[in-house]
Amino acid sequence: MKILILFILIFHISHVNAGEIYNLIKIPNLEIYKLKNDNNIRYLSAKGNFKIGVNKNVTCDKVNINNLNSKFPLIEKNLNLYNSNFLNKIKLKYIVFCENLFISEINTGGIPDNKNRTLILDINFNQKYFERMIHHEIFHMIQNSYRKVFDENEFSSFNEDSFNYAECSTCSDRLNLDLYENTDGFLTEYSKSIPSEDMAEIFSFLMVNQNIINEKIKNDKILSNKVNFIKYSLAKIDKNIL
Amino acid sequence: MIKSIKASKSEKILFTFLISLAIFAFTSFFLLKNKCLFVEKNNLSKLKFNKPNNIAVMNVECGNVIIELYPDISPKAVERFKILIEQKMYDGSTFYKVSENTFIQAGDIEYGNINNLDYSKIGSGVSGLGLLKSELSNDFIFVEGSVGFARTTDFDTEDSEFFITLKEIPIYQGEYTPIGKVIYGLDILKTIKKGNKAIYVLRPDYINTFRMFKFN
Repeated sequence: MKILILFILIFHISHVNAGEIYNLIKIPNLEIYKLKNDNNIRYLSAKGNFKIGVNKNVTCDKVNINNLNSKFPLIEKNLNLYNSNFLNKIKLKYIVFCENLFISEINTGGIPDNKNRTLILDINFNQKYFERMIHHEIFHMIQNSYRKVFDENEFSSFNEDSFNYAECSTCSDRLNLDLYENTDGFLTEYSKSIPSEDMAEIFSFLMVNQNIINEKIKNDKILSNKVNFIKYSLAKIDKNIL
Repeated sequence: MIKSIKASKSEKILFTFLISLAIFAFTSFFLLKNKCLFVEKNNLSKLKFNKPNNIAVMNVECGNVIIELYPDISPKAVERFKILIEQKMYDGSTFYKVSENTFIQAGDIEYGNINNLDYSKIGSGVSGLGLLKSELSNDFIFVEGSVGFARTTDFDTEDSEFFITLKEIPIYQGEYTPIGKVIYGLDILKTIKKGNKAIYVLRPDYINTFRMFKFN
């Protein structure tokens, strides 16, 4: 049995670039993109394709450096909205850039991993939603670190009694990220998937364009309650983010 | 009467070639195979230290590796490191994790000793002394020869495993608890056996003895 385990161990590890970065955040084939930043965030990029996770269900391709160079200023601008103290609290230190990010064969813009203090970003994600996607994924890291503060039952109670979220974020066809004209309690179709996605959508709009939110909540009591909940909960962690 | 036969030119060349081949094979087998041949052994009696109380001597196959400990940077970690050394708990500890030209790691007391090597559990062993809080320094740069306490993906899980960097690794700054720095014997560490493409090493090299420096 031990020989079998040893064989499996060596076989799997022998095919990855198991250097110093892998030792730290358990993602192979990465290199440093930018290390020194005011908020202590560290940017890494994929120099080769990688597969990680249980059953290697997360896959991503290496970045084209020219592609990354062109998109980095926008990414950095958005991440600079968070101070180092806040990033410490939500356990985010490493941003990993790659292209064509998939989880269980579903294309996704980002994958947060609080345990390794890492957020993987697909730099090829739809540019229309790209900035919002960054904050959306960061919200998941916030919620993962503060489950009780962002209580899903309390948040869900703002909806009408007849409304039900889906069982999971990908087990419904509510995936559209466009802003509703008539919000009726939800900013986007994706907001209707599950409570945490609903919260993440609100947070992402708050970070990118608060004016839109302020306009929408004027005539939407449910949405107004939800926005206040997010703002109030966030202020418990850091008063300076919003 | 036996008539002497003079070797032809081609026979002389062939003979010389065979002799050269034999010498090459001999040196390759007996001399070049000895990885310690050209490595300085570090004779302790000839070395002087500014802070002898904080000098630890790790003896491995190719000689002594001299490490200066940094209690001013990581007091608790260095205190633990000294206890482990004084209790001889590192003796026989294997360098089971080696990333070529990057770092080497040893110190799994429970499952990483050469006399009790358990590859199914290696890296998860404990010393029995409990976990330590990480002592991180944003000013400490892990350069070639820096020694740090290893941990799991979580902070405050340091116990006994340590690593030594074989090159500067800026990304480790503020991530790992520094313990000290190799001041003599980096060449010796570079002879530590690597895995065959893998980070884990089969039949790894190990620490013969690890002692605090004794001075008069």
